Amino acid sequence: MKEVSFNVPEGSVFGILGPNGSGKTTLLGIVTDVLKATDGKYSWFGEAASKKSRQQIGTLLETPNFYHYLSGERNLQIAAAIKERGEQDIPRVLELVRLTERKKSRFSTYSLGMKQRLAIASCLLGNPPVLVFDEPTNGLDPAGIAEIRQLIRLLAKEGKTIVLASHLLDEVEKVCTHVAILQKGELITAGNVNEVLVNEELVEISASNLEKLQQIISVLHGVKQVKRYENILQVFFDNGTIGLDQINQYCFENGIVLSHLNLRKRSLESKFIELTNNVSS
Amino acid sequence: MKVKNYKTFWILLVLCIVSIPSFNYTVFDLMDNSFPKMRGKSIFGSPFAFPDAWQTITWNSSLLFIIPAILIITLSTNEFTYRTHRQNIIDGWSRTQFIYIKLFEIFLLSIVTTIIVFFTALFFGSVLNKIPENTRLLSDSRFIFFFFIEMISYSTIAFLLSVFIKRAGLTMGIFFVYMVMEQFVVSLMRNKYGMNWVDYLPEEVTDRLIPQPYAQKILSNSSWNKNWEHHIPIYITIAAAYLAIYCIITIWRFRKADL
Repeated sequence: MKEVSFNVPEGSVFGILGPNGSGKTTLLGIVTDVLKATDGKYSWFGEAASKKSRQQIGTLLETPNFYHYLSGERNLQIAAAIKERGEQDIPRVLELVRLTERKKSRFSTYSLGMKQRLAIASCLLGNPPVLVFDEPTNGLDPAGIAEIRQLIRLLAKEGKTIVLASHLLDEVEKVCTHVAILQKGELITAGNVNEVLVNEELVEISASNLEKLQQIISVLHGVKQVKRYENILQVFFDNGTIGLDQINQYCFENGIVLSHLNLRKRSLESKFIELTNNVSS
Repeated sequence: MKVKNYKTFWILLVLCIVSIPSFNYTVFDLMDNSFPKMRGKSIFGSPFAFPDAWQTITWNSSLLFIIPAILIITLSTNEFTYRTHRQNIIDGWSRTQFIYIKLFEIFLLSIVTTIIVFFTALFFGSVLNKIPENTRLLSDSRFIFFFFIEMISYSTIAFLLSVFIKRAGLTMGIFFVYMVMEQFVVSLMRNKYGMNWVDYLPEEVTDRLIPQPYAQKILSNSSWNKNWEHHIPIYITIAAAYLAIYCIITIWRFRKADL
């Protein structure tokens, strides 16, 4: 990792975004004392990290690690004993992740999704103020992913600070308040999610005379960029500067009848790729 | 708590406990029935009677060290295989705490095996054999303490290897091979080259605390005995030093490594 540095504000849902191999798990491993950094330092709750601070953080790192020969419930009992909190919490968290029926089964009999859900339950034991999730939706079906999203929203409402590492962009966009983007161990950008992942609006237009259309639209006030894609022009506007009917009227006034007019948000995926490619190129 | 439901653990523990009396009984039976007797008494004397019982039983039982070692290795390497050691640290144990708890398990296991040996010796000495007159029951029972030192040393070596190697099968293999190799080196160096420093190698130094009981009766070399007595404090000190070194290395390794 190359000198990554940032602050996580209390009560935020902080997303760590990056392609595979960008260093998200390494970063989280370092701040939970699983990996040893060669340089640099980190602090939790404004103090130097210690096992006490780890007891206040519910962490899910990379894969669920439990005792295969013990039941789900037993595993949670061990986790609660180590955290020195949450023993009474076990039924509540099991219910939250819908594992109550299988709590007495051995961990080795769980499916991947169940293992993941048990790991999330373990994080929630004792209601810690901070949660660190490394790819929490790994192995979950779409219903499970939606549930976790709901759960994170709920936890954020309760005022918890959540650090979420993911390569699922739309999940990050849906729940996070802040985001940091990593690529190849470097921090590309960090800040409020609305600023970093701004979604530009783009308008798709087409007409029989594409060259003329391109000419007139390029000089329209508020147009940032015009791209041609097959027989459609993609026009990027500054946010909120133009309405569809205005475009239609403008084109008509200039002798062009539009055959296609559509408002689209540029996909987060292409935005993300652009952000991460800008650095490497 | 971690091991309460672990079948393998209980099987190995029971094996540990049961093997001590049964192995000793087998040897006793063997000696009683298979070796020539002179005037109704075995040529080996009565090694299973007091006060020799302590030395005999502890020496016999120390041959069984592989069973507790397998138990320790299994418990330790399991944590690494399932990466639960990682989770324990994440959940709130410090790295040193994790190692201390494992060392405590080893200590406990050594105590348990020592207690079993104690009662086994008591049984053999008093029930199977008549207690000779003018013998104090607990004389020479220091061998029990020596046995404890030997057990805890072997177990800690096994644990040290587990922390470095992390895989169950490989650790057991290397542990066993090392034990055999050291014996081989010791006898080679001592008998062929007369080097006595080999007495202070890790395995050998604890072995020397409990000399083989059977040969003594035949050879009855009293000057050898005096020499041995003289060396006991040295052996114990060195064994303790080794133990300290094993612990320090294990803790250092676990603290510095990436989990």
